[in-house]
Amino acid sequence: MNSRYISTFLGARFLGYLAFAAVAWELGALVSLPPAPRMLLFGAVHVSLACVLLWYAYSAGHGCAHACSGSELVTIGATKKRSVAGPAALGFLTGLSLCPPFVAAGVRAAGLGSVAAALLFFAVFFVGTSIWFVPFVGLGCVTRNEGVTTVARMAMVLIALYYGYLGLTMLFGRKVYGY
Amino acid sequence: MATEARVLRPQQIEARTIGRSILLSLPVALWSVLMFGHFWQPDRAAQIASVTTAVFMIALFFMMMRTGSTYRWRRWFFVALGLLFPVGFIHTVMVMRGTMGIPIEEMIAGRTPFCFLPIPLLILPAALTKTVVFPGSILPGGGMSGGGMAAMAGIWLAMTIVIGKGWCSYACFFGGIEEGMAAVPKRAKLKKIDTRWRYGPWAVLLAMVLLSLALFDSVYCMWLCPFKAVSEYVAARNTLGMVQNGIFVVLFAGLVIALPLLTKKRTQCAFFCPFGAFQSIFNKTSVFDVKIDRTRCSPCVLCKTACPTLSLTDESIVRGETLMSCMKCGACVDACPKDAAVWHIKGTDVAVKPERARLMFLYAAWGMAIMFGGGTIAGGLATILHVFV
Repeated sequence: MNSRYISTFLGARFLGYLAFAAVAWELGALVSLPPAPRMLLFGAVHVSLACVLLWYAYSAGHGCAHACSGSELVTIGATKKRSVAGPAALGFLTGLSLCPPFVAAGVRAAGLGSVAAALLFFAVFFVGTSIWFVPFVGLGCVTRNEGVTTVARMAMVLIALYYGYLGLTMLFGRKVYGY
Repeated sequence: MATEARVLRPQQIEARTIGRSILLSLPVALWSVLMFGHFWQPDRAAQIASVTTAVFMIALFFMMMRTGSTYRWRRWFFVALGLLFPVGFIHTVMVMRGTMGIPIEEMIAGRTPFCFLPIPLLILPAALTKTVVFPGSILPGGGMSGGGMAAMAGIWLAMTIVIGKGWCSYACFFGGIEEGMAAVPKRAKLKKIDTRWRYGPWAVLLAMVLLSLALFDSVYCMWLCPFKAVSEYVAARNTLGMVQNGIFVVLFAGLVIALPLLTKKRTQCAFFCPFGAFQSIFNKTSVFDVKIDRTRCSPCVLCKTACPTLSLTDESIVRGETLMSCMKCGACVDACPKDAAVWHIKGTDVAVKPERARLMFLYAAWGMAIMFGGGTIAGGLATILHVFV
């Protein structure tokens, strides 16, 4: 089951990459958006990710508590059915998360000669970054431990708060640090 | 073997004679004189502070030997450390910088004072990128960075290898404040605590490690450290800086003042501190631990009630051990009416000479407490004495 979620997550993330590559190439001008709209986009993505994380943290504590089924964290986002909507949404959103190297890759894709070249460039970029997810496939068994799931849920809330804060500061155009 | 051990135990827990207690305190006295014996220094306030600290540390150890109680006397040292550290530290930053707020210019210059709390957050970025994500100095000479990160990391490592999470009871200069607060009320007003909060430090550690790695910043220091409220804070130049400082104050007021008063527990240590979670790992490498002798245990769970960090559960008592979050403060050992909670050296029988294990642990822990915490106490005391002398 765990590998199914990882593959769904990665598949959706891959789609996010390709979508971004296509948009970057077609529009070209995406990276040359004025700073203000770009910050709004960045902020919206951050806030969306924060909401998804908070939803996971909440739903993980309100699902089936049977020992046999392990924690609901295993079935990220799916409380009753083993839905893949959660990992797919998270994968797609992280695929669109505009971190600096991702934006740099977008600039490169925008300058390529054809959409195929842009898609191929992002496909390789995806392979390179996906290696970091491989170790997570084998970690499903540890989620049977209540301590691990509780720690994961609490950490999700903290990280969601931070990303939510970053997103809001971008949306409202404030500095991140108060120097 | 077990029978023989039980025969030995009762005489070990009796209070010692004064002469024997003095004899056992001699190594500590010698160490204290070596550490604080700067009697020739011209600064009279510092002279008095050094002598007072030496006498204080020797007297507490003597009482530990005389009464057989650990927690009761250690707490005096720990609270003094917690109260006097901010006095000395704030005085130093005020003299050197003129304000408790650290400006961005000081951070860029690598002059941010370094404490041990961010150590676990620096490891992954340093291992992966050879970068220290803290705006301080690695070696001495960084202004307010004092001895530098290398010195602090060295002291931490030396103590940690020997006493594990005992660091949190014999070296941490923050935990004493909440231990003092927890000692104020006679009874806890808030008795039911969801034990899942015990996982809080691990969650904070995980989140902070990931965020520090992702953002290349010591995120905990910038956003969540409650002790910024009594050491140094962000020099706020806009609303967000005020928000950061507001978080420090709220966390300090809640976790270090209010909740210890209500629960009689060290709530910041038990439910929040990421360094404490990291330090728990080293309880596995330390040779010292606390065990429950199942042949003597009733079980009355007084040890569980006394534990300031919820490191004893019904299940762990049945297993005869503490959880890995145990900070070896000795509260459970002091509380047990049957002497079933005992100090222990790994690899030995639980029932065999626990007082010897306690002595060996205390020599190590107290020696380091004198060296690390004693200096801080003397510094804070000297700061106060400068007003009068």
